[in-house]
Amino acid sequence: MGLIGRRAAARPGRAVLATRLGRAVLAAWLVLPLVPLLLWAVADRWSAPAVLPQELGTDGLRDALAAGGPAALARSTALGAAVAVLATPLGALAARALVVHRVPRPGAVLAVLLSPLVLPPFAVALGLDVLLLRLRVPATAGVVLLLTVAALPYTTIVLRAALAAQDRGFEEEARTLGATPWQVLRGVQVPLLAPALAGAAFLAFLVGWSDYVVTLLVGGGRLVTLPLLIGSAASATGNEAQVAVLSLTAVLPPLALLALVGVPGRRARGGRR
Amino acid sequence: MSGPPGARGRRTGLLLVLPALVPVVAVVGAALTSALLAALGLAPLVGEPRLTGAAFTAPADQLASAVPLSLAIAAAATAAAAAVGLALALAAVATARRSRLLGALSAATVPVPHLVGAAAMGLLLADAGFLPRLLGVAPEDWPALVGGRWWVAVVAEYAWKESAFVALVVGGVLASRSRSYGETAAVLGAGRWARFRTVTLPLAAPALGAASAISFVYVLGSYEVAALLGRAAPEPLPVLAVRLSTSIDLAARPQGAAVAVVTAGLALLAVVLALRALRRLAAWG
Repeated sequence: MGLIGRRAAARPGRAVLATRLGRAVLAAWLVLPLVPLLLWAVADRWSAPAVLPQELGTDGLRDALAAGGPAALARSTALGAAVAVLATPLGALAARALVVHRVPRPGAVLAVLLSPLVLPPFAVALGLDVLLLRLRVPATAGVVLLLTVAALPYTTIVLRAALAAQDRGFEEEARTLGATPWQVLRGVQVPLLAPALAGAAFLAFLVGWSDYVVTLLVGGGRLVTLPLLIGSAASATGNEAQVAVLSLTAVLPPLALLALVGVPGRRARGGRR
Repeated sequence: MSGPPGARGRRTGLLLVLPALVPVVAVVGAALTSALLAALGLAPLVGEPRLTGAAFTAPADQLASAVPLSLAIAAAATAAAAAVGLALALAAVATARRSRLLGALSAATVPVPHLVGAAAMGLLLADAGFLPRLLGVAPEDWPALVGGRWWVAVVAEYAWKESAFVALVVGGVLASRSRSYGETAAVLGAGRWARFRTVTLPLAAPALGAASAISFVYVLGSYEVAALLGRAAPEPLPVLAVRLSTSIDLAARPQGAAVAVVTAGLALLAVVLALRALRRLAAWG
C-alpha cells in the first residue's frame, strides 16, 4: 500500500495510475504466496491472529536438518543433474537430426518425442512400476529413466528452435577450411549452441529436481528427495517452520541457476532480448 | 557434408534421433501397454489373466465424479493462468514503461516446484494462514479455501504457477514481434484498445493457445497439489488412481490402472482438440 501511495503523489494521469495499480496487483499475485514461506522459515512462534511472527529463531532449520534435509538436498541435486546430463545431449542429437538431416516422417518423430508432455507422469509411473520391479531395474535407475523421458520434450523443443535459427554457414566454412568433424563440433557447433544447451539443461534439471509423483511411486520410498521430504512434512500439522525451510531449500538453488543461465526461452533464441 | 538430402543424410538423421526416440518409445509404449493390460484384467498380480471391463465399471461412481472434477479444476486454473499470464506478458514487453520487475518475477516463479507452491498456498490460504491474518479475519470466519468444497487453494496454486509459464511463453513471442507492429499501428492513429485488439491479441493468440493447452494437460495429470490441498472426497483422477493403485487390496489395483488409462485418454483428447483449434487459429490469423 505504501508503494502505491508514494507513486500516486507524483500526480500522474489516470491511465498511468490504473496501469501502475494493475502492475502492483500482478506483482503481489506473483510474490504473495512466497511471503509466508519466508516468514515461517525464521519463526519459532507465530500463532494466529498475529500478522508477523512473535518469536524469531532457527527451530525450522534445526528440524529440517534433523529430518534429513542435507541428504535429501544432495539426492535431489544428483537426480536433477543426472536427468540434465542424459536429456540434454539426447535432445541435442534429436534436434540436429530433425533440423539439419532428413529424418523419415519428421512430423511423426517429433510427435513421439513430445508425447511425454501429454501423458500424465503418474500414469506412466503406475504403468511401469510393476514392470520395472519384474525386470529388476534398481529403483533409482527407474526414476532417472522415467524423468529423462519426461525431460526430453523440453530439451528437444529448446534445441530445435535454437538450431533452426542458427546460421549453418559457419560450419560449412570451417569444413571448407579443412576442419575435422570433431573440430567442427568443438570449435563451432557447441559454442554456437551453448546458450540454448544451458537453457535446455536447466529445464531438464528442473524436471528431476521438482519431481514428486514419479519418485514416490517408482522410487519405492528408498529415494528420499527434497520434494518427498516436503510432502511428508507438509501433510502433517504443526511443522510449518520446517516445511518453510525445506521449501526455501528447494527454491533457492534453481533460482541461483536461473540467474546464471538466464531466462531459457530468451537465451535459446541467441541471447536477443 | 552435413545434411545432404539423400539416403545417406537420412541414415545419419535416423542414427542421431534414435538415442532419444528409443527410450521414449520404450517407456511410453511399455507404460501404456502394461496399464491397459492391467486395467483389462490381462496382467493380474495373482490368478489367471481374463479379459474383463470390471476395472472400469467397479469404480464407475468415483470416475463419474472424478472426471468432471478434474476437468473443472484444469479449466478454471488454465483460464485464470491464461488471463493473468497475458497481462504479465503485456506488462513485461510494453512499448512504454516496460516492467522489467514483472518479467523477472514471472521468470523466477517458473522454477518453483509445484509441491513447494502447494505448501506455500497452504500457509497462505488456510484458515490460520497468512492471508486471513493480513486481512484481519478470524479463522472461524474464513472460508474453507484449503480442503473446501470449491478447491480454491488447488486452483490458485496451478493458476499461480502456470500464469508465470504463460507469461514467459507469450512474452517471448510478443517481445520479438509485437513492438514494430504496435508502433506502426500507433503512428497510423490506432488507440490503445484498438492496438490491443487488432495487433497484440492476434499476435499473442497462437502462443497463448499453445501455452494454455500445455497448462490444461499438465493440471489434468498432476497429482501432488490436489493430494496436499484437496479434500478427501470426491477425488480428482490422479489422486483416485494413485490411491487405488497403491491400495493394499490387490483387487483395487486394476481399477487404479483403469483410472490412469482414462486420464491419459482425456489428456490425449484435450491435446488433439487443442491442436485442431490452434491450426484453425493459424489459418485464420
